[in-house]
Amino acid sequence: MTQTLRNTDAGVLCVSLQIDTRPIWLILAIKCLRPVFFLVLASLFLYFIWMPAPVGLSIEGQRAIAVFLLCLVLWVSNAIPLAITGILAIVLVPVLGILPNKVTYSLFGNEAVFFILGAFILAGAVMHSGISNRLALYILDRFGGSPRGLLITVFLLAAALSFIMSEHAVAAMLFPIVIEISKSLGLKPGKSNYGKLLFFSMAWGCIIGGVATFLGGARVPLAVGILKETTGSQIGFLDYSIAVFPLVVILLFAGYMLLTRIFPIDITGVEEAHGVLKKRLKALGKLSFSEYSVGAVLAITVFAWIVLGEKFGLAAIALASVVALFVFRMVRWKDIEEYVNWGIILMYGGAIVLGSALDKSGAAKWLVGMAIGDWASEPWAAFALFSFLSILLTAAMSNAAVIAVLLPVSIGMAQTLSIDPVMLTYAIAVPAGLDFMFPMGTPAIAIAASSNYITVKESAKGGFVMFVAAWVVFNLVAAFWWPLIGMGYR
Amino acid sequence: MHNYLDNPASLKIDLMLRGIRMEDPVVKAWACGCSGIDMLLPQDTLVNIPCMEEFTRNSPYTVKRAGERYFITDGRAEVEVKLVERPAFYSRKTTSGVQFSEIASVHGSYTVITPSPRCDFFNRSIECRYCAGNFDVKGSSDVVYTIEDILETVEAVLKEKASEVIYLSIGFSQGDDGGIAFLKPYIQAIKKSFNCLVAVEALPPRDNRWIDETYAMGADSVLYNLEIFDKELFELICPGRASLVGRKRYLESLKYAAKVFPNGTVASHLIVGLEPPGSTCMGIDCFTDMGVVPILPIYRPSAGKALRIEPLTTEIILPVYKHLYNAVKKNGINLSWVRDISMVTTPAEIRGLVDGGKGGTLMESFYKSRIGLKAAWGLSTIRRKLRVVGSDDSDPSKH
Repeated sequence: MTQTLRNTDAGVLCVSLQIDTRPIWLILAIKCLRPVFFLVLASLFLYFIWMPAPVGLSIEGQRAIAVFLLCLVLWVSNAIPLAITGILAIVLVPVLGILPNKVTYSLFGNEAVFFILGAFILAGAVMHSGISNRLALYILDRFGGSPRGLLITVFLLAAALSFIMSEHAVAAMLFPIVIEISKSLGLKPGKSNYGKLLFFSMAWGCIIGGVATFLGGARVPLAVGILKETTGSQIGFLDYSIAVFPLVVILLFAGYMLLTRIFPIDITGVEEAHGVLKKRLKALGKLSFSEYSVGAVLAITVFAWIVLGEKFGLAAIALASVVALFVFRMVRWKDIEEYVNWGIILMYGGAIVLGSALDKSGAAKWLVGMAIGDWASEPWAAFALFSFLSILLTAAMSNAAVIAVLLPVSIGMAQTLSIDPVMLTYAIAVPAGLDFMFPMGTPAIAIAASSNYITVKESAKGGFVMFVAAWVVFNLVAAFWWPLIGMGYR
Repeated sequence: MHNYLDNPASLKIDLMLRGIRMEDPVVKAWACGCSGIDMLLPQDTLVNIPCMEEFTRNSPYTVKRAGERYFITDGRAEVEVKLVERPAFYSRKTTSGVQFSEIASVHGSYTVITPSPRCDFFNRSIECRYCAGNFDVKGSSDVVYTIEDILETVEAVLKEKASEVIYLSIGFSQGDDGGIAFLKPYIQAIKKSFNCLVAVEALPPRDNRWIDETYAMGADSVLYNLEIFDKELFELICPGRASLVGRKRYLESLKYAAKVFPNGTVASHLIVGLEPPGSTCMGIDCFTDMGVVPILPIYRPSAGKALRIEPLTTEIILPVYKHLYNAVKKNGINLSWVRDISMVTTPAEIRGLVDGGKGGTLMESFYKSRIGLKAAWGLSTIRRKLRVVGSDDSDPSKH
């Protein structure tokens, strides 16, 4: 008899709990959908495996397509985590004899995978040191003197930070700051135009800035990894940024104009916001050694990527910087562990294996010839078609999954159309990061929508215009800017 | 004088109301000094008959023995009955030395377990005026049985097959949860250790989310006992419940619980005799319209209690029970859950009085069988798995 009535930890109410009171037959039917889905999927997969191979397609190619379609459905439907679909691809490719065991697993050691790992750790160290937060607060305080100025600063700051960090991480970092600014200005969630502008600026800034360099997200390194694995071609850190620079500038301008047209600024001053920013800056104290040192490592790393990237490889430079962080005890493993998204790394490993399987088995080439060849007989048309597919699919699925699904097929098509596979890599990799419409495709939008200042409907409305603008501008940049810097469709 | 011996349901009601005289020394010994004795009337109708209270001296009923057989007689006719043995585990103790009979009380298909025999209503002198139940009338004791004690008790009950349903109850305790937060570790521990059904008697919580929580944590049935439907009498006789919970909240909680819990597993007591029969009938209609099973215990004045209302007679009570059966049938409420309880006459037992039928339906017979009990537990578990969304903490199977 040692307990007392009040001495119980069971009094905590699980607020997340819900009771589904719909008719039990309906719940059962819904629950059955998942097993039925997997059963149908498995049946179709086996059918594709066992049916006679079409003319011009090898058995390995047929199986590679079956695995590709299976992964495509799983990636699009999100029925299992993206990473697990990646693992499934790694399992099925050698088991079905598409590629030997040794080759399959060695593909996981791709440079892109390790570049992504290094970038995650570097971003984790930057976030953990607090320098990114300090930089954001300082810039907002320094340049956001008027409503328009503050808005432009949020927009450009989100974009600029996404040049060097994952856009998702930037959105997550800026979110609490923007929330505090909104509250200090007395902006009402769902009603204030300026509140909407701030959160859209944050989200769109991250999205646009995220396509500017290799560091805005892991999709470009993944695309470059698949390109290198299948064709041996490379895209340099600086080459990529130069190629997309006009797109980023035009989209930032277009985004700002569009937002301020849809939601006219409805406040006259931002003095209260500066009070909050100053308070937060003061609370950070003086610049710490950790911030200095991590900032210096990041600056050196970016410099090395630009100057030495082609010679040593981006992954080697990223990993060397990671080693330096730990050698000089700027960060501890447990500090950055939470920032490393192992799921994405596994997913990318699987995508690279899948891409290679499609290529080496001849499946990609066959698939393109059968399915897309007639639709895009000219290089510019193929470029436009793939970039459209990429930007369309990324509205519904993760942008990394878009790369995994489209890139192997497009590279397979390159030879048929006598188009440079590097161009097609751009055609897929860049638009895959430009989802302005829905939260499911872009965490930056999801984070902004969670503020309740903006709705998914508003996001879809404004995002659709940007979706069209982004695709058009991207194709115009490819047609008119790229020839000026020595790039062409062929 | 009416003859109630012909029908086990009416006999049960009359016996509960008037008690029984025990003149035979063997029967006296069987009663073991308890205030009531469990007997099995025809058609397996279980009843707990008062035998020690003052009013039983005037009862027309006596038990007589003929060899190994027992009969209840009113002096004019007789009916054969079976004496129900006291559970053997009553005489044993838990590892910590608590007598099992202090913790548990078998009432047919239900074994009532009160982890804390304490009710804070008593501390404030706002206890229910009729209450002489298993709660600490002083309200000062902090006796709380440990989870281990309760688990040992449940194990003893189930091993002896004394009951199929473990009925956990709690008096009034502070908090918005109606006592569920206190019962939660017990419910979860029982569900984790045994494949049995658990019913919970608590106070209506302030927030419906606690009702969700009650279901999610493993309770298969819930009772919020209003006891008196008439608003004014409720406030007069149950001042604590009226002021700290409120009649409205009782009705709201019952209505909500009936949507969450399976058909026939949400119940509420209405004590027959504490209010006019018409008021009880209105309560029956109100409850059954919401999908709640009204359970009708019969009021008997207890010695030492201030409240002394002249009890109703069987002739007056019987139409109330018939009304109960008709209302339950009309609303399609499942009768498989509230059955075979010695302390109250259940709707299923009234069937014979209303439509002349004997025994239960095929489904009721199935759920009384061993395989039926397993099926009830399995279906209840599956139903919970399907209905509860987003619970990690509450799922009893995860502990």
